[in-house]
Parts: sequence; structure tokens; C-alpha cells
Amino acid sequence: MPPVLEMRDISKSFGGTAALSGFSLSMEPGRIHALVGENGAGKSTLIKTMTGIHQPETGDILVDGQPVSFRGTADAQRAGVAAIYQEPMVFPDLSVAENIFISHQNRRQLINWSALNDEAAAMIARLGVTLDPRRAAAELTLAEQQTVEIARAISLNVRVLIMDEPSASLSDHEVKRLFGIARSLRDQGVAVLYISHRLEEIFALADTVTVMRDGKHISTKPVTEVTQASMIAEMVGRDMAGRFAREPSKDTGEVLLNVSNLAKTGVFRDVSFTVNRGEIVCFSGLVGARRTDVGLALFGVAPADQGSVEIAGQPVTITNPAQAQSLGIAYVSEDRRKLGLALTEGITANITLPMLGKYSGAFGWLDRMHELADAQAFRKQLNIKAANLTVPVGTLSGGNQQKVMLAKWLNTKPRLLIVDEPTRGIDIGAKAEVHQILRALAAEGVAIIIISSDLPEVLSLADRILVMREGRIVGEFTGEDATDESVMHLAVAAEVA
Amino acid sequence: MRIPLGTLRILVLLAVFVGTVLFFASQIDGYLNARLFNRISGSVAVIALIAVGQAFVVLTRNIDLSIGSVVGCSAYFTGGILIAYPDLPPILVPLLAMGIGAVFGAFNGFLVARFRLPSIIVTLATLALFRSILVQSSDGSSITTNRLPTWLTEFATLNAFTAGELQFRWIVVISLIVVLTAHVFLTRFRAGRQFFAIGSNPDAAAFAGINAGRTIFLAFVISGALAGLAGFMFLSRFGNITVVAGLGLELKSVGAVVVGGVNIFGGSGNVLGVLIGAALIDLIDTSLVRWELVSAFWREAVLGLLILLAVAADTVLMRRLLRRKPTGGSQ
Amino acid sequence: MTALRSWEGFLFAVLILIYAVNAWSSPVFLTPGNQINMFQLSVEKIIVALVMTFVIINGEIDLSVASIMGLAACAFGWLVQAEVPGGWAIMIALMIGLACGAFNALFIVGFGIPSLVVTLATMIAFRGFARVLVEDRGINAFPAWFNHLGQKGLIGPVPLAMVVFAVLAVLAYLILQRTAFGRKVYFIGANRAVAEFSGLDVRAVKAKIFIASGVVSALAGILFAARVGAVRGDVAQGFELDIITMVLLGGVSIFGGAGTMSGTILAILIVLALRNGMALQNITGHIQTGVLGILLILSVMVPIIRETGGRLIARVR
Repeated sequence: MPPVLEMRDISKSFGGTAALSGFSLSMEPGRIHALVGENGAGKSTLIKTMTGIHQPETGDILVDGQPVSFRGTADAQRAGVAAIYQEPMVFPDLSVAENIFISHQNRRQLINWSALNDEAAAMIARLGVTLDPRRAAAELTLAEQQTVEIARAISLNVRVLIMDEPSASLSDHEVKRLFGIARSLRDQGVAVLYISHRLEEIFALADTVTVMRDGKHISTKPVTEVTQASMIAEMVGRDMAGRFAREPSKDTGEVLLNVSNLAKTGVFRDVSFTVNRGEIVCFSGLVGARRTDVGLALFGVAPADQGSVEIAGQPVTITNPAQAQSLGIAYVSEDRRKLGLALTEGITANITLPMLGKYSGAFGWLDRMHELADAQAFRKQLNIKAANLTVPVGTLSGGNQQKVMLAKWLNTKPRLLIVDEPTRGIDIGAKAEVHQILRALAAEGVAIIIISSDLPEVLSLADRILVMREGRIVGEFTGEDATDESVMHLAVAAEVA
Repeated sequence: MRIPLGTLRILVLLAVFVGTVLFFASQIDGYLNARLFNRISGSVAVIALIAVGQAFVVLTRNIDLSIGSVVGCSAYFTGGILIAYPDLPPILVPLLAMGIGAVFGAFNGFLVARFRLPSIIVTLATLALFRSILVQSSDGSSITTNRLPTWLTEFATLNAFTAGELQFRWIVVISLIVVLTAHVFLTRFRAGRQFFAIGSNPDAAAFAGINAGRTIFLAFVISGALAGLAGFMFLSRFGNITVVAGLGLELKSVGAVVVGGVNIFGGSGNVLGVLIGAALIDLIDTSLVRWELVSAFWREAVLGLLILLAVAADTVLMRRLLRRKPTGGSQ
Repeated sequence: MTALRSWEGFLFAVLILIYAVNAWSSPVFLTPGNQINMFQLSVEKIIVALVMTFVIINGEIDLSVASIMGLAACAFGWLVQAEVPGGWAIMIALMIGLACGAFNALFIVGFGIPSLVVTLATMIAFRGFARVLVEDRGINAFPAWFNHLGQKGLIGPVPLAMVVFAVLAVLAYLILQRTAFGRKVYFIGANRAVAEFSGLDVRAVKAKIFIASGVVSALAGILFAARVGAVRGDVAQGFELDIITMVLLGGVSIFGGAGTMSGTILAILIVLALRNGMALQNITGHIQTGVLGILLILSVMVPIIRETGGRLIARVR
């Protein structure tokens, strides 16, 4: 079969960093093509290029052998290329049928609702699912909303359907149904690009699998010719020179945090671990393994419903961030924009925000010199590059924003520091600096939990590595024993291959 | 059988409306008669028009606070033109009023859609601006009944048909036609559904290739045109138009829209609900005056609390029903 | 262009310009009597604008302020008529303002209903309560000392109104720009999730602001009663528009998180001088409000104008 869509030698970079370099991919009708790669391998950029959100710098996109250029999602849709994401994009107030047909520009103005509902029901039935087309999208589960999106795509005569981590937030039962849908699309001649971190899904579903790493194409093989081990080796196979050097542990052996059987219904369960003063414990795992949820539970943002937590031997129940702070917990979020910093406000004000009480005297009067002095100290200590300390945080580079966020939480003088993706999206120099800061903190006796999807980072920083998968801790390594592949095996596989 | 949420809302509103009528009937002697209908239907006709216009705007996640000033301006300018050209064919006059209103609406729509300015600020400003245009051009002089053609002042009480003692005035019939047309447009036409889509999820709307700017502009033009038509009825009903004509109607329209079950953050609602909301507000307004137990001065207090109650009940119920995350605080 | 960089600098330049034009076109404008009169006539609005600055920076809106002013003024009148001593009447009227603010806060903070809707409803309801109290009467039998407070000079020719404004302006400035509370107001308005994540008591801050808005509005209503010497059900009706206009003109973002108290104060002075100047030219109140409307639209368009201008300049280069 000739390919319906071909990406040839596509390159795309952002601010000097290459997200895709010379990447090629060929999609054939009636096949499910899996794409795997670590976080940051360039998968999202690839999807955005295929759907017209990004335009490639070099290389060609071919539809039915003819070169095309997608200037926007509308162009891609017209060519029959559509994508569905982990978070479905639906109109919550509109019915299922309407969600499916809203973007059909060529239909008659007058809507015949019963015909539309029948058509929608038929469309959904083609996916082997039953769903009342009259229900509002807001009433549907995530999986059902996804189904609506897929139905919308096929109603637009989709020929290439990209499914980006569609199973990440679904239950086992829902995943099975999703697989059924993907297979029926394949049987109808659609080319499906299936992206997932769960390797067992790929063996269950895909015909072909492509591995990508650092924006490059590594291999494309029939799924029958690969094993989990071979895929993992290709996903992580980086040269060892790129590894950061390990340093001796600062672990004091004195337990600070003791978590036992922590659980939150439908999110995570049986989470038990300890962290010592001066120890760096890394949570490794894939996106959707619920590591962040465990962190947020410890910080009181989304408290757990079962289990116990002890801090320095005292049993505690943490229900909100203010209380977590008073217990000496700090949390550097992975989401700078939503939870980390107020981008329109100044650096100093952002740093001192959680500790306003420390700087205020009678009537809440702020000692601004004191604030400034502390901010200056952090600027020096963490090497924050900024014109001055009153500029809005949003004007700084990602790496400097990350340091401001660290400063904000270090200023609370935490006993336990939780850092979620400490170096995502920042350059290599800043990354090394952040690592150095974290090591120095451990040396001061702070207990540190790092949640990171960056394996080299985990391997160079961790005294201990806890691997999570689907809401449970599935394994533990000491920093010395762990390797890329051993951690990856646990993170992706149901059983060690 | 599952009843769709929207239908359920309308049924509850209708029940509340009937309940209110029964309540006042038990309190006020001789309450339930044709006169009540004849009196209320006339004022509901005007409020329902502007409330429907407001609903178009609110559906798209915007708000039109200038609507009262647009009513005043359209009434005044239509009256002025009629005084200057008394022989204008009657059929053209309401169209003229709608045209005048549409121009004001287009001004709002242009600023909101083209420059993406927050509608609450734009229409807050034009609320004052349009009013001052009215004051400036009237130079303080009013339109008075005796200067208007008699057909116009008689039109307000002209019956389209009667059923027993129930009088169906032309303005009521026109208003009902507008409401039904708007209802059919919003529920059965693709162009109508785009108002919902934009309010429901602007990002997804852009993704689906819906031109948000054009639709929002259109919403303001419709709101203006309907305010213009309301201005025509206003002129016909009262004859005397001063510079304060239509003052405060923006609040009544938003009130009717909210009580009628339109989500203030856009995306859902039904103009039949808006009609009932407008009628309910006017019913309570008119009936309290006649209720001996309570002073007529409770009208506004009751109206305000009613709006609050309607929204609070709706918010709490919707959260229960959909278990939807509460929306963020930003407007 | 550098003056334009800071909104306050720009407002200051506009203020100077308006003063210059007014002084040039009317000999009366700069006289102390007129300047005092200018403040006295609007004091109720401008003190509420100070607290409205907190509300809007916090990412909310309070449309009910003018109705609370009316309710407090009418309650005061009603109490005086019922022969309650003036001091007590003032206290009770202020407590009513506090209760109104708390009522708003209950629905906004407690039930999570948008402040736009809640205060739209209470704007109508509180006004309604005012009418219930005084019906269609006017009440004007106030104690002489009370009317003096509103009409005569307190310190030399300077009336109580100006003193109150000056004190509240300084207080509002200090609280917003120099205290921990003010800092919280900004961060909650800029990014509520970040504020909650940082352990801030978001709900308490919001509740306090709405309660303060109620109390200050009640105070404004009492000052109005003292100045006019009479109350009616429609006291201060429509003032909320002027008040919100002043705040937005002062550079406060309707989306919250941005703006300064000095911006609001400059905008207040601009609005006062502009209205006074126009009044001296015999321009009616409605037209004055229309001019303010244009000003409001222009103020939100400044960033767009600047951007377009910048693009044009870049293209020429």
C-alpha cells in the first residue's frame, strides 16, 4: 500500500534547541503505527507539525505522494489528518451529536436534529460503542469524550488519526474499548498513529513501531520483530558521556518522612516509603504514573483519603498547603505558569509570597528592605540573571524562572523539599546549576523528593529511586545499582522482561 | 425517561411562574382576570425583546450593559424622525428603529470583536456615551405624545386578536414572533449553534473553524437591533421620551437572562427560558404593587433576591448534576 | 514615549494638561473655593473608588456599592426620624454596610458564584431595601451638627469630606502597596491557583475586601446624606459606573492582578478636574459622563494603539 501521509527529513527547532532533526515517518492506510520515545524525545512537536500547528523548517510533508504545506489545523483536517489528545477538546454544553458535526462547514444551515442524532449514533456505532447522541458532553466521562472526538474525526473522513497518549487517564475497561475503536478504524482503512508510554499496549495493538530519541528517527520495525528490551534500549540508548557525574550521598540515616499505605481512590494506592534527612529520593515513572498526585497529596493540595504520614516521628494529617508549609514541607511545582509563579508580578514579591508573615510587622506592614535583602541573597546564591529584582517574573528565561521558584520555596526553610520536574524545559547550563543547588541542600540535611521523568537526571541525583506505575510503587533501586534500562523496564512493563 | 437538562430548567421555571401566579391569586382579590394578562403582556413584550438580545450576547461569554441607552436612543431618534417626516409608512418605522439600534450595537461589537476589549468595559463606557449622545442631540427637549402621529401612539394598545377578554396586542404578538424566531434560529440553525459553541469552549471553537469575531459582532448587532425594536415599542407605549428613557433596562435584561437560566459565562441557555424569566420578573413587579400585606416598595428588594436565589440554586444544582469543576474566577 | 511606559506618568501628564486647559478657560477653576467644591461634590464616589481598587485588583467586581450607599443613607435617615441619636444612627448605618458586604461575600466566597452576578442581584436588592425604608418620602430632618459636617469647613475651609478622602487615600495606598494584605490582594488577582498553592488564605482575603467595600460604601452614603441634607430612595443611584470608570481609568486591569492605588488616585483627580472644567463650561452631567465613557474606551485601547504604533514604526525602519 502506498503511504497516505509521509513526513520526510522534517526539522524544527525552538530557540536554538532542535526538537526534530531530519525526522521521517510514513503512514500507511489500514495500519496502526506506534510511536515511542522518552519524554522530550520530540513527539509533541511531531504531532503539531503533522496537524499544521507548527510548520517544519526543512523537509516535506506528502499526502498521497504530493507535497503539501499545512498552514493551520484546518488545512490538515481538509487533507484528512486529525489528532485526539489525552485531554479531549469538546464543547461541554453541546450534545454529543453537535460536538461531532459542529465543524462541518458544508452542511445545510437548517439542522434536522433527529437525522443528525441518527447520523451521530451511526458514526459512534461504527466505533463499536453505544452513546446517546443527545447527551451533553459535560456529562460524559473522559473516555466517552474521547470517543466523541474520534467520531468527529471520522465524520470528517479522517485518513490519518493521531492518538496522543489516549489511554493515560483511562481505566482498564475503557482502554480495552479504545483498542476496539482503534482496530475498527484500522479495518476501515484509516492510518492510525498511536503514541503511548505503555509498551504492553503497543504489543497488543500496533502493527509497526517507530522509536524516536532526541528528535531523531531511531528505528521503524514490524512489532513482531521487537521486544520490550530492544525498544527500551533504543529509547534510552544515549552515550554515557552525557551523564552527569554522581556524588557521594549526604544521607544522615535519620528518617524525616515516613509514608505508609497512602491511597487516593482512583488515583494511587499502597504508597509507602521513607525519606531521610539529607537523602535525595527520586520518583521515576512515566507521565500518568501518578507521581505528581502523591506529591500534591503530601502538600495538602489534593489530600489522600487513606494511609498515614509521619514527619520527624509525629503523625500528621495534611489538608492544605498552608499547613504543609508550617510542617516544613515545600513543593516546587512542575507547572510554573499555573501553580508556580505569578508571572506578572515581580521577582522579590514572588520569592517572599509564602513567607509574608516573616516580613510583616504591626498591621501587616512589610519590611521591604528585608524582603529585598533576602531576594538579593538568593539571586547571588542561585545565580538568578535579571535586570533587577522588581521585573515581572514572566520576562525571565525558563531557567531563571525555575531558580526563582526554587528560591521561593527555599525561603520557607523546608525540612522536606518536593521538586517536580526540576529541570524541564531549561537549558543544560541552568540544569547543572539546579542539580548543584539540590545537592547542596541535601548536604544541609534537607530531605528531598524529586519527581523526574529525565532518567539521566534521576540516575545522577538519586540516593534511592522509587519507580511508580499506574498509581503504585513497583520497584526500588539504590542510586548506584540503577541503570537506564532497569528503571525503564519497571516503569513501562507489567513484568520485567 | 431522561429529561434533557435544558428542558428540565424550562419546566422548573414554568412551575415557579405558575406557582407565583397561584400565590398572588390566593393573596389578592380578583387577581386572576384578563386585565392582569393585558397589563403585564405589554410590558413583558418590551423586556422580553431586550432580554433576548442580551441572551445572544451572554451566550458568547460577553455582556451588553449599554442596552438601556440603546433603547432610549432608538426611541428618541425614531420619534424625532417621525416628527420631521410624519408621513413615513408605518411599516418602515419599526425597521428604522431596529436599524438605529443595530448601528449602536455594531459599535459595541466592533470594539469587542475587533480589538478583543472586555465587553464589560466597552459597554459600561457606551452605556454612558450613548446616553450622552441622546442628551446632546435632544438638547434637553423631549419627544411628546402630541407631536407624534396618532397611529403610533394607538399602536401600543392595538389588538392583533382577542380571545374572550384576553387582548393580544400587536406588540405582544411581534415580541412573541421575535422570541420564537430567535429560538428556532438558536436551536435549529448551524449559524445559531455557533453562539453556543463560542461561549462553551472558545479554544475548541477556533479549532473547529468557527469565526468567533464575526459571531460576537453579530451578537452585539442583534442585541442592538432588538433594543431598537424595544425602543419603538417604548415610544409607542409612552409617547413621551425624555433623556432618561430606558434607564436601568440593562439590569432588567441581565436579570431576565440569568433567571431564565442562561449561563452568565456563556455556552448554554434557552430564549424560551429568557421569556419566562422576563415574564416572571414583570409579574412579581406588577403583583407586589397590588399585594396589601406587603408594601409596594418591596418590588426591587424581591427582584434582587429572586435573581440571587435563581443563580444560587442553579449553581448548586448544576454542580451536583454534572460534578463539574467550579469555573475559575476570571470574567 | 518614556512617559507612556508608566501609566501613572501618563495619567499625571494628562492631569496637568487638564488643569492647564481648565485654568486657561475659566478664571474660577483654580480658586480654592472651586477646588474644595470639586472634591466636596464627589467625595462619596471617590472614597468608594479607593476600595473598589482592591476589589478589581483582586479579580472581582462589586456593582452593589451605590445601592449600599443608598441603603446606609436611607437607614440613617429612617433612624434619625425614629429619634435614634445621630451617633448611634451612624454606627448602625455602618453596621448595615458591613452586613451587606458580608452578604455579598457569603455568596461569592461561600457558594462560589461569580461576583458579577451576585453584586448585580444585590445591587437591585439593597436598593430595594432602601426604598422599603423610606418609600417615596424624602427625609431631611437631620440634626444641625450633622448637616454642618457635610456642608461647612472642618479645618478652616476644608470640609470633612476632603479630610476623609485624604485620610482614606493615604490609608488605602499604604494597605495596598505596603502591607502583606495588599500583596495578597495582587497575587490572588494575578493567579489564584498560585496564591492558594503558596498557602495564602484566599477566601478570607476576598471576604475581607467585600466587607470593607460594604463599610466604606455605607460611610460614603452617610457623607452623602450629610452633604445634601436629605435622603431619598434613589440616593447615589448609578454611581457604580462612575466609580468603576475611575478605577479602570487608573490602569487597574478588569482581569485582576494589575494596577496601583496611585493610578486610581490620579484617575480620580482627572475625572474630578474634567467634570468640574466641563461644568464650568455649562456642559451637562450626562455629556460629562459620555466624555468619561470615551476616555474609558481609550484607556483600554492604549496597549493596542501602542502595539500598532510600534509595528508601524518597525515597518518604517
